[in-house]
Amino acid sequence: MIIAAWICLVTPLAAALLLTLLGNSASRRAAGYIATTAVFGSFIAAVVVFAKLWSEAPADRSHASTAWEWLTAGSFHVGLRILVDPLSVFMMLVVSGIGFLIVAYSIGYMDGENEERRYFAYMALFVFSMLLLVQAGNLVILLAGWGLVGLSSYLLIGFWHDRPPAVAAAKKAFIMNAIGDATMALAFFLLIQDGQSLNFPDMFAVGPGHGWLVNLVALGLLGGAVAKSAQIPLQTWLPDAMEGPTPVSALIHAATMVTAGVYLIVRTHAVFEQAPRVLELAAGLGAATLLMAALIALVQTDIKKVIAYSTMSQIGYMFVAAGLGAYGNAMFHLMTHAFFKALLFLAAGLVIHALAGEQDIRKMGGVGRVMPFTRTAFLIGSLALVGVPPFAGFFSKDEIIAAALSRGWYGDILFAVALIGAFLTGVYAFRLYLIVFPGKPSPFVEEHVHEHSHEGPFSMTSTVAVLTVLSVIGGLIQFEPLWGPVSSWLDPVAPPLAVPSSTQDALASLFAVLLGLAGIGVAWMIYGAKRWHVPTLAFSRRLLEHKFYFDEAYNFAFYRPAVALAKGLDRWFEKPVIGGSIKEIASGFREAGLDTSRIQTGLVRTYALVIAASLAVITIVFVAVR
Amino acid sequence: MQGPDIAWYLAVAAFLFATGALGVLLRRSPLIVLLSLEIMLNGGNLALIAFSRLHGESSGQIFALAVMAVAAAEVVVGLGLIVAIAQRKLDLDVDKLSFLRG
Repeated sequence: MIIAAWICLVTPLAAALLLTLLGNSASRRAAGYIATTAVFGSFIAAVVVFAKLWSEAPADRSHASTAWEWLTAGSFHVGLRILVDPLSVFMMLVVSGIGFLIVAYSIGYMDGENEERRYFAYMALFVFSMLLLVQAGNLVILLAGWGLVGLSSYLLIGFWHDRPPAVAAAKKAFIMNAIGDATMALAFFLLIQDGQSLNFPDMFAVGPGHGWLVNLVALGLLGGAVAKSAQIPLQTWLPDAMEGPTPVSALIHAATMVTAGVYLIVRTHAVFEQAPRVLELAAGLGAATLLMAALIALVQTDIKKVIAYSTMSQIGYMFVAAGLGAYGNAMFHLMTHAFFKALLFLAAGLVIHALAGEQDIRKMGGVGRVMPFTRTAFLIGSLALVGVPPFAGFFSKDEIIAAALSRGWYGDILFAVALIGAFLTGVYAFRLYLIVFPGKPSPFVEEHVHEHSHEGPFSMTSTVAVLTVLSVIGGLIQFEPLWGPVSSWLDPVAPPLAVPSSTQDALASLFAVLLGLAGIGVAWMIYGAKRWHVPTLAFSRRLLEHKFYFDEAYNFAFYRPAVALAKGLDRWFEKPVIGGSIKEIASGFREAGLDTSRIQTGLVRTYALVIAASLAVITIVFVAVR
Repeated sequence: MQGPDIAWYLAVAAFLFATGALGVLLRRSPLIVLLSLEIMLNGGNLALIAFSRLHGESSGQIFALAVMAVAAAEVVVGLGLIVAIAQRKLDLDVDKLSFLRG
């Protein structure tokens, strides 16, 4: 079983290396097939691991394996260690399964693109990084995977390196993530200094009087989680990351990367539970993000950015769940979200593909007339996102909302925020759907799409179909409190702190569904039936269009001072001190050289005289001294 | 030990060397400079051979042979240079051949 886990881990890496080494000798098609096969192999291996683990007693479902000693410093050892337990297998299945579908979709989407081989090598590397992250058996390996995820997202967001916005977005994502990496590394240093083991199952027992330490460590971990999962205040990179190819967005949002923060909190829940204030902070940040992102999504005009903000919002739900200690619910929502978010992105990719790369929804309209399959898929994805029963989002989101209800007054606030979020989700999701799909095709759409044109190559439509099915039935895996295999699977790893009663469950479901439907109704009145007008709240509209001025604030608070400091240093230190001294040294040598060069008269007889004279002097001195 | 005292040999050698050195220092024609150099070398050779005889050893003579070989090579190069200078119609005057001054 451990062997299967290792195979699951290294297959995508092998594919990435193979594609890099083959270079141009692999055809573009072959590159796509190699990457897809590798990720599929990974998925098969994950299924094997899952099946084996399933057959074991719940208490024994934890296996670690160390390949070799990776780092040694005195008595401190870190092995290249992987851990197979219900949580990591859960993530392996999601990452490799959804990852496989997205890579397969890319074969059609990236067809004819320049540098397809590079794209597929990066995709395989991305999947490998995420698998390393979720399989890591200690925090250092986890950080290695964490950093690799940041690297591969940087490479893929900036895949179209001839587009300046894509390059800028890639840099932004990398820098924002680096902040989180730094806080995580600091947390690890504190743990190491305290003599704690960084290995996963035996983490983490602080002695009494170490309260401040555990709080600092938890804060550091939270910083990493917040950066990777694009939560307030490190959320600004995610919408910009839409500059990458659409399947990359799907991969970042559904299977890999942004879910890593949720995974980290669940994985290190032992630390967080000793720092309950930090855990509450995580839930609070999640709630703030889910609300803010849902509001911003209301006014976005780029089809991918709307979906991107919905991701931020949904990850916010997961943070709320993780922060409340409803770990199983957070992971379950992570899974269903992976289904319907991948579906939404890939369906949006079909639209963008058909419209020759256009992403502005103001030019779209009536796309459904010519792309009925895509329309159905997108509708199902939206319904799942809003949480309408019986689609996937209903089961997972309502559990989170119910969990909030069971946690005192703080939970009640989160409950209210989550319900407002559910309402807003209905509005923005169906605003997008109603603008893009129903009705008469807009002139722009008429121009690009024809009645008889197909909706996309088989590799794209088939993967969208699979995800559609998953978005419909994926949620039925678990319906608390009636049956809960996901929770019972994960509970041994991360016992939940919040267990809602069935009344609370029913109440939360009722409210959430009603509010979601109300949101859809509002969207329908405005964008479908056009009975209501879009409210013209100029101020709030501007606020939302500027994404609450986060970019501007960071620009003002960090970028401008940094530039000013650099300019000041350049003017007062670099030029006079460093530049000046180097110039002086250089000109000194030059002067000395010019002076000495006068000795070189070019007159052979002078040289001979000097030689003879010095010989004479040497001889006289020699004789005299003797 | 036959023949005159070693001092005589050394005196002649020093005289030859000094004559050559003066020639090198004072004359301007490269041809004469080369000639003077040869005289200097032969002064040196004489001293080497004299010492060789004094000590009853052959290494000094071998040295002198080596110096002769080097001198022959040097003459080849030097005369070649003089021919090259003449071909370029430059003055045969070492003071005027000072293109390499700093």
